[in-house]
Amino acid sequence: MAKGVHRFAVLVACATFFLIIAGANVTSHDAGLAVPDWPLSFGRLFPKMVGNVFWEHGHRMIATAVGLLTIVLAIYLQMRERRRWVKRLGWIALAGVIAQGLLGGLTVKMNLPLAVSAAHATLAQLFFLTTVSIAVFTSPRWIAATPIANDRGEGVSIRSLSVVALIVILAQLVLGATLRHSATWDQDLPTGLLLAHIGGAICVTLILGATVSIALMRYRAEKYIARPAMIAAALLFVQLGLGVAAYITRTASPFDPQPMTPMVAVTVAHVACGALVFASAIVLTLRTFRVVYAEQNNYVLAAA
Amino acid sequence: MLSKNTKLWVSLIALISLLSLASSCSKGGGDEESAGDAGGKAYTAKGNEGSISGVVSYAGAVPEAKKIDTSADAACTSKSPNLTTEDWVVKDGKLANTYVYIKDGTLADNSKIGDYSFPTPTAAATLDQNGCHYKPHVLGVMVNQPITITNSDPTTHNIHFTPKNNPDWNQSQPNGAAPLTHKLARAEVLVPVKCNQHPWMKSYVGVTKHPFFAVTAEDGSFTIKGVPPGKYTVVAWHEGGANGTEKTMQVTVPASGAVKADFSFGASALGQPSSLQMLEAIEFPMLSKH
Repeated sequence: MAKGVHRFAVLVACATFFLIIAGANVTSHDAGLAVPDWPLSFGRLFPKMVGNVFWEHGHRMIATAVGLLTIVLAIYLQMRERRRWVKRLGWIALAGVIAQGLLGGLTVKMNLPLAVSAAHATLAQLFFLTTVSIAVFTSPRWIAATPIANDRGEGVSIRSLSVVALIVILAQLVLGATLRHSATWDQDLPTGLLLAHIGGAICVTLILGATVSIALMRYRAEKYIARPAMIAAALLFVQLGLGVAAYITRTASPFDPQPMTPMVAVTVAHVACGALVFASAIVLTLRTFRVVYAEQNNYVLAAA
Repeated sequence: MLSKNTKLWVSLIALISLLSLASSCSKGGGDEESAGDAGGKAYTAKGNEGSISGVVSYAGAVPEAKKIDTSADAACTSKSPNLTTEDWVVKDGKLANTYVYIKDGTLADNSKIGDYSFPTPTAAATLDQNGCHYKPHVLGVMVNQPITITNSDPTTHNIHFTPKNNPDWNQSQPNGAAPLTHKLARAEVLVPVKCNQHPWMKSYVGVTKHPFFAVTAEDGSFTIKGVPPGKYTVVAWHEGGANGTEKTMQVTVPASGAVKADFSFGASALGQPSSLQMLEAIEFPMLSKH
């Protein structure tokens, strides 16, 4: 398979990450309703980018670009990819980005109801999961990979543990998104959700920490596993620090005259780093499933 | 049987239809003139109504107004180069922009004030966007009283009412656009109003079933007229922090008389509801303190 598909899939994943950052900026600047209409902005394709219109309309423009890139990716996969399930994943990504665009429109039309806004932020992470997965599945290393170890008989299953870590991280991202959309910059964060998010951070640290530790203990020599494990650990460390900083700046925010740069920068960095922790966990999980086989399964290498 | 591709398209169309349906059921939008809180037996003036007046002061070091960074919109910088926060406007120890209203109470005949309805003014209250801030900063209206919203700035604003008891309302208003009109059908103290394009812009609208409310002037003074004789709970609300601060006082309005109700806010009460500081400020003729 052509390297071009993989490179394009990486581009789409990177663009999606950039889109998550743009979306986080919209929330932190309280710009979600700066443009009250949708899909056009003030009835135009390109309005004057003043005030918070810059963030809201900028987010829409980047989302449009990601949507177009996803269409191209789906067609590219359809034409050049031989594995049917990967082709299907391309179409699932396209369905996801369309649904995400509609949810974004719905948040505007309904004046940011919490459920829809949180769903919009959650689907963003699921779409990111899909694009990162496509990038992994189309990589030459994935196609050429060979089994290195049996997951059975070595104590805790690294395959199971990595999946649990992935689910816990996703749950934590959903909690974080709900927390962020529960209160604007000038309101106090709801205590219950805040405590749940802190509890989630502890769970992620324990489970992802255990996953990374076991992965490194067993497969330190295998860069294919060790590298994403170490990146996940480093990102988790940074993310915990950003979480504390985001809490401190956000707590002071209701007394500020407007969303201040330190609060916005730290909070957006926290959202972005959360997405990167998720991405590294996705890569670790997929690669683990690729090269660490389970004895009872009839492990067959996917056709290159 | 449908092919897989057909199933995919059918699913997509179903999803779009569902979202469109949900969109059409959105809570935002027009002025919903439901029955709201306007009910009750009509109050008939007896000619012996009194008044509540007072001064709201600020004790202690006044929080400094914070400079607002308007650089995101050159039109705002040009028109209001020195814009500052308006949450604590204090002059000679007197506090402006405090919303004072009768929360509840009993008339001389033991009927509740909340059981009565009062005629809604047909004259609209005005909320102007001028210099990238709202004038007035705090506004009081009755339920279903029209609020006329004007834009005197050379830029576009969006006027966004974010109530808890009334429908959310968000409208764009370009410079030179015709005034918008909005009504709030349910009593709510207070409804925050903001502009999502210029996030420093804030205003508060108090909505009551009765006309017994006032907003303090620059000298901290207020007067509530036409109050039926009776015992009332009067509340002074001032913004600041995440939730604002409330002071409560019990007053008795004599027939054809006036009662004085002075309130005091202070630095130690920032962001926390408290009635402790008010005790020293209560002046005769208060029958009870709270």
